[in-house]
Amino acid sequence: MVYPGGVRALAGIDLEVRDGEFLAVLGLSGSGKSTLLRCINRLINPTEGRVFIFGREATALRGAELRALRRQVAMIFQQFNLVKRHTVLANVLSGALGRSALLPSLALSFPAEEQQRALGCLDRVGLGDRAASRADALSGGQQQRVAIARALMQEPQLILADEPVASLDPALRHSVMRHIEVLNRDEGLTVLCSLHDIDLVARYATRLVALRGGRLVWDGTPGEFDRSTFKEIYGEEAEPASSMGL
Amino acid sequence: MAAPTSSAGRSWMQRSRILAIDWALIVIAWMMAEFLLLAFTGRRGPTGMLLTAEQILDLVHYWVAAAGGLVLAVAWTLLERVVGASPGRSLTGSVPADEKELPWTQTLRGWFAAVFIELTFFTGWLITELELVTFLTKFGKAADIVRGLAHPSASVLHEGLILLVQTIFLAFMATAFAIPIAFVLSFPSARNLTRGSAPARIGYLVSRTVMNFVRAVEPLVWALIFISWVGIGPFAGVLALWVHSVAALTKLYSEQIESIDPGPMDAITATGASTLQVLRYGVVPQVIPPFLSFTIYRWDINVRMSTIIGFVGGGGIGYILKPRVDLGEWGEVGTLVLLIAATVWVMDILSAKIRERIV
Repeated sequence: MVYPGGVRALAGIDLEVRDGEFLAVLGLSGSGKSTLLRCINRLINPTEGRVFIFGREATALRGAELRALRRQVAMIFQQFNLVKRHTVLANVLSGALGRSALLPSLALSFPAEEQQRALGCLDRVGLGDRAASRADALSGGQQQRVAIARALMQEPQLILADEPVASLDPALRHSVMRHIEVLNRDEGLTVLCSLHDIDLVARYATRLVALRGGRLVWDGTPGEFDRSTFKEIYGEEAEPASSMGL
Repeated sequence: MAAPTSSAGRSWMQRSRILAIDWALIVIAWMMAEFLLLAFTGRRGPTGMLLTAEQILDLVHYWVAAAGGLVLAVAWTLLERVVGASPGRSLTGSVPADEKELPWTQTLRGWFAAVFIELTFFTGWLITELELVTFLTKFGKAADIVRGLAHPSASVLHEGLILLVQTIFLAFMATAFAIPIAFVLSFPSARNLTRGSAPARIGYLVSRTVMNFVRAVEPLVWALIFISWVGIGPFAGVLALWVHSVAALTKLYSEQIESIDPGPMDAITATGASTLQVLRYGVVPQVIPPFLSFTIYRWDINVRMSTIIGFVGGGGIGYILKPRVDLGEWGEVGTLVLLIAATVWVMDILSAKIRERIV
């Protein structure tokens, strides 16, 4: 994947993700984590290479076929990316846009059963009572939970989470990660999640890959991860910030 | 991949661009220098009068300047090693790093810029015929006007108020009709929405070009066009301000779209939404408040502009202002000017207040 201007963000990535995995993607800022995730649902078009999802070549799809694929792949962002001026409920409902009739959806109108479903999604992230609030009236952690409800609303098979807790207060990180974990463990959704924090990786991921300079440098389980692999990923200068027993 | 930094690596295109800029600047400086030289040698015409600036402009040897400028520009490029980077390189941002550090007084292009600014200033002074003495000593005639303005006459107050109402509505209708068209056009005119495909890029180019052209034509000219189309009166004024407002609002709106947070667009795209849905959910909610604010501001501007439009027959208060200016009825002019000033003042405060609340 080469960006306009010649920055080569990813190169030689060969990665297979199995159904039901919670795959953590680790690496320094700029190592290509976001680019990797965005190539999967084609928010970015890779300059070379192919991506297969559920047996279909995602990189070959266009138009309606691409949108149909995106419906199966929900995404959660570091900055939440809610529509700030819409209500919490309207934000969750926007997860249903891919299967909604065009004209009513442009008038922000959704069928009653979709509204019920959206309220159900909000209940599952513990925000059922905030449905009518404006999205920007919520705290960061709550906004990210709305974003998770929006992802749920999509009824996806795969979740891409791009640094979902990096802009949250450390105390709130687990509350958000646990919601993602539930989707993985109880619903059997595959999760690809880029993370900074090795503690979170150890706690939630079933598999771990690491990127450095756009290349895949490590692939294994969190249990096999030790101090020397840490240095391999982050460089000799780095020290693990916490106590994961390295 | 390395950016072309070495002088050998500079492309042919870039070289010719630099040379063209140098040439143009040196030719302009040369012409201004010759103009000043002719002016200060005190040439007299056949009648013995000093030549006017316009007559001197006729005497400047433009072809000599063009040829001489080209020679100098080429020479500067060839002697770059000795005399340092040329102004063209500076304007294209390709000055070598070690030369960038130098203060302007130690580079030839710095001195060139300084002399260029001086020449522009003195040439401008002569060409626009500035005369400080006249300005400071001949106030007498104008005093009549000022006295009239300070003593407004009540005789046009009634008519003025009625036409003021017409002015405000004229500006309002022009703005209101401009909103939907500018709204639709602002999407293809926004760079960040039109990178995706070739048709989108063409749409961007066409919409931008047409709007720039429309905006470049003064509302006064549009008024003349529409007066001969629909006749003298406020309707022609509405149409003139409408056309100009569409272009101006499209530009303001599209710039606002260009500065939105792309995050929500990404998020809506990722749900599998179609392009229209992405625009509706990812873009529109972010731009509605600034759009409203720009629109109110535009109404404010249109009220002010409609005065001038009225001068040529586009309705509104300007329509009765013009004959009074021509006849020298300064007291009545004073009344009308005060009415306009009060309206603009109120509009200004109101629009500021409303915009504060929206954003």
